[in-house]
Amino acid sequence: MSETQAETQAATQQPKLLGARVTRVEDPRFLTGNGRYVDDIALPGMLHVAFVRSTMAHADITGVNVEAAASHPGVHAVVTGAEMAGEAKPITCDSLVPTWQATEYPALAHERVRFVGEAVAAVVADDRYIAEDASELVRVEYSAREPVASIEAAIRDGAPRLHDSWEDNFFVKRHFNGGDVEGAMAEADGVLELDLVSHRHSGIPLECRGCIADYNRGDNTLTLWTSTQIPHLVRTGLADVLEMPENSIRVIAPEVGGGYGIKGHLFPEEIAVAVLARKLGRAVKWIEDRREHLLACIHAREHHHRLQVAYKQDGTVTGIKALLYVDCGAYSVYPWTSTMDTGMALGILPGPYRIRNYECEAYSVTTNKCPLGPYRGVARPAACFSIERAMDEVAHAVGLDPFEVRRRNLVRDDEFPYESVTGLIYDSGSFHEALEKVCRDGDLEGMRRLQEEARAEGRYLGIGFSCYTEQTAHTTNEFIKRGVPIIFGYDTAIVRMDPSGTVLVHVSTHSHGQGHETTYAQVVADQLGIPLESVKVAFGDTAATPYGHGTFASRSAVLAGGASLRAAQKVAEMLVRFAAEHLEADPGDIELAQGKAFVRGSASRGVEIADLARWAYHRPEKLPDGMEPVLEAVSSYDADPGTGTFANAAHLVLVEVDPETGGVKLLRYAVTEDCGRMINPLIVDGQVHGGVAQGIGGALLEEFVYDENGQLLTTTFLDYLLPGATDIPKIEVTHLETLSPFTLEGIKGMGEGGAIGPGPAVASAVADALSPFGHVFVNELPLTPERVRKFVQQATGNAA
Amino acid sequence: MKPPPFEYFSPTSVDECLTLLAEHGEDAKLLAGGQSLVPLMNLRLAAPEVLIDLNGVDELARIDRDDGELVIGAMTRHRDVASSELVREACPLLAEAAALIGYPAIRNRGTMGGSLSHADPAAELPCVTTTLDAEMVVVGPGGRRSIPARDFFAGHFTTVLEPSELLLEVRFPAHGGGPGWSFHEFSRKSGDFALVAVAVQLPGDGASAGLAIGVGGVGDRPWRADAAEGLLAGGQRGDELLQQAADAVGAQAREHGEGHADNDYRGHVAATLARRAFATALERTGR
Repeated sequence: MSETQAETQAATQQPKLLGARVTRVEDPRFLTGNGRYVDDIALPGMLHVAFVRSTMAHADITGVNVEAAASHPGVHAVVTGAEMAGEAKPITCDSLVPTWQATEYPALAHERVRFVGEAVAAVVADDRYIAEDASELVRVEYSAREPVASIEAAIRDGAPRLHDSWEDNFFVKRHFNGGDVEGAMAEADGVLELDLVSHRHSGIPLECRGCIADYNRGDNTLTLWTSTQIPHLVRTGLADVLEMPENSIRVIAPEVGGGYGIKGHLFPEEIAVAVLARKLGRAVKWIEDRREHLLACIHAREHHHRLQVAYKQDGTVTGIKALLYVDCGAYSVYPWTSTMDTGMALGILPGPYRIRNYECEAYSVTTNKCPLGPYRGVARPAACFSIERAMDEVAHAVGLDPFEVRRRNLVRDDEFPYESVTGLIYDSGSFHEALEKVCRDGDLEGMRRLQEEARAEGRYLGIGFSCYTEQTAHTTNEFIKRGVPIIFGYDTAIVRMDPSGTVLVHVSTHSHGQGHETTYAQVVADQLGIPLESVKVAFGDTAATPYGHGTFASRSAVLAGGASLRAAQKVAEMLVRFAAEHLEADPGDIELAQGKAFVRGSASRGVEIADLARWAYHRPEKLPDGMEPVLEAVSSYDADPGTGTFANAAHLVLVEVDPETGGVKLLRYAVTEDCGRMINPLIVDGQVHGGVAQGIGGALLEEFVYDENGQLLTTTFLDYLLPGATDIPKIEVTHLETLSPFTLEGIKGMGEGGAIGPGPAVASAVADALSPFGHVFVNELPLTPERVRKFVQQATGNAA
Repeated sequence: MKPPPFEYFSPTSVDECLTLLAEHGEDAKLLAGGQSLVPLMNLRLAAPEVLIDLNGVDELARIDRDDGELVIGAMTRHRDVASSELVREACPLLAEAAALIGYPAIRNRGTMGGSLSHADPAAELPCVTTTLDAEMVVVGPGGRRSIPARDFFAGHFTTVLEPSELLLEVRFPAHGGGPGWSFHEFSRKSGDFALVAVAVQLPGDGASAGLAIGVGGVGDRPWRADAAEGLLAGGQRGDELLQQAADAVGAQAREHGEGHADNDYRGHVAATLARRAFATALERTGR
């Protein structure tokens, strides 16, 4: 090989960054404490807010006396709901589903409160200490109404109404009937009746919410720094409620210390803080404390399911009738509405299984509790809990291994693309292989040996599985079907090469743990033939980034990743055209790699990309005729047909149960996941780890407990327990890569998935561990020690 | 979660503390490790007008042996108690329990005196002091007095300390209470407060001196399982008797926890932990 040939080969074989385990470029900033969050920002003359929050779950506000608070030294303003009502419209977010009943969620409660923690008044002071001192002086008089503190209380005859114009306490009533359920029930060898309960919990980001509003009276512009996943949607929502032109509002989401869906909302507090800044002409800051976060941010996942499951003696499930209730709390949330959980659960409940006869009634219920919103997995943890527990119960009923029953029901590889009974298009998947692989990689045989040895010693080990498929990166078609008012159809990227040849990518999504600064850079660097270090990814500022929807629903890698790829391709085309002119070659022969544009097969005939960039901006005379002197392109991407791409996974867990105390310890945890082509397997691993940890929290520890008066009893981390490092076992993750036929590079979304599998897997394992006592249907999460004790007693009773 | 305003003093001697207490009395709170008081102030569940910070009073931080007793100063950190060779020798039950308090960050700041004065019925140290019949040495305007642990705790987060008094040190019998000891607690996650804790000093076959069984987490203060102690006082250690004693702990727990929704559960756990604690303690006697 001649020297030139070797050079050429080296140049053309730049390893693809797409698919590489690149370490995260954002980490040094976080690890050295150089992240800049909302609370790190201080503006000149900035004032601080504390909110007075309702102590009543359901009451009329008969008076608010602010006199003492307003005259407290250091206080600048005390604003009540009545005053706020004149400054901002309430949040409305209406579904287009026909049975929808609407709510108005005011920035500050006006006339009536509907949950404990709802903001009633705002105190603005020199600092937060003074604001809190003065907030204790605000006297709110309530006239109590009967609280509606549970699904049962909301749906019973004669239940008090939360919203006067409603005919009952349902945001929405849904009904679906596909196939022939009655026929399946009639022909079944057996029908199981199963009740399942997932209790209310939520995503608990390390950083609570927070925002700063700054209003410029000179040009009527408002800037809001806020810890959000969806800066553009917050801007649109704010413009609507404040009745300001949207081009006068700038929203900046700086570093966000975790979101998990919880921070994907327009919040009453953001509106209130904006109004206060506009009113006072001073910057105003609100930093949410943990008590406020637990009381009044967003709760999630409170589902009650009742299933009838028709099965054949061979273990196949032939039909399901489902009745679903979701406790959605007091108000509909923006931009999702209170239909998300019922819609998602209704659609995905059959999961990865070939169930063709399915009827479902689903109700979004309003109660005097904190509003319910999306949290990592949205409804799928509950739906997966139901179908997976059903599979285990069928296995028990017909006397087959739970693994075998799953195998007999899973959609086969040759059936993709598979249209589910509810009309979801499973684009591709590896349902069988994932289950088999997790059993191999997680060493199911070894687990079974350990279980046997332990039983001989009088210890109770249990093995549990779960399988799921997760719709991700769904866009236009799916959101039209759901009837949400905003169709989250696409996301957007601008790729801009500057005169020195480095690249800035501006995206409409927001990264708060997902590692987009690394993954998008990998995608763009590959297209432009430049090193990763030359690409910087920026997001969060609506004044700098192109419009788009933000980060949620496991969509960013597919959509903003796709948009970045497309925009980078456009810039690459410009470079190629310019290089071809300069090198007097055919554009079809030009290749970009290792910072150079060169003629394929002849590395010596090349030009530095940095030179092309410099000339494009500073030496326009060198440009080809008709080429514009700016290396910049914008693209959006919607992953047509917009039905989403279905990632899948199988989880396998080994637990030890102490039947005396009810304690559950996780010994081993294995995941095999398939999210199509991985941009960065290291980041995929990290996302799975985080998701599984949160799923374990919901499976064992986390629960918001309300009493019958609607008082939240779990308002600190003393009562609301989160898993810590010592509660999470090592999580073994292995991968399959079944490409999506619908997306660029075959990428699928995966951010939420890890959180879906643990609940059913752990429940299944606990039931298995208790099997020496007798069979028991473990149907309630989280599995607190007391509940586990109850299951021990039930198992013993069942055996007797 | 910001505290209301308070006046702050940072004395460097016990005498100075007493002067400040005499002056501010009921309006004042003593700040030790701050692991409970500071969160309570931030939640505005406690609103002292005056905070007297004990962290500068060096004489309050000590671990010593004095005439057959183990003396631990009120400002001694949990971490130091848990890792002290002296404590492990003289009073191994205390060392074992101290290592279970909260998390490393809490143990690095939290103190013996702070935990005892806070009197959380689910905390480890009130249970251990009650079990070991430790003496709380208290100083006030009238001088020193010594209060047996069993009389020190007066209910949920309440002690018999007068507002003008300061807990100076805790004196544990340093014989370790016999060769068999064990502290078992069950909490929902590691580092969390115990749902139930059982502390045991259990001498081996034929012996009865130093026998003690204490229970925390059930009721408004830690208590001694007298019925179980009575069953084991004769020195018999047969499996059946031990099971009876464990059941007696459970029965007494149900009495103490009456009115709580999860009372039956806690009673069962108390009996279970007692059975396990007996087994561990006996194993340590080398039976």
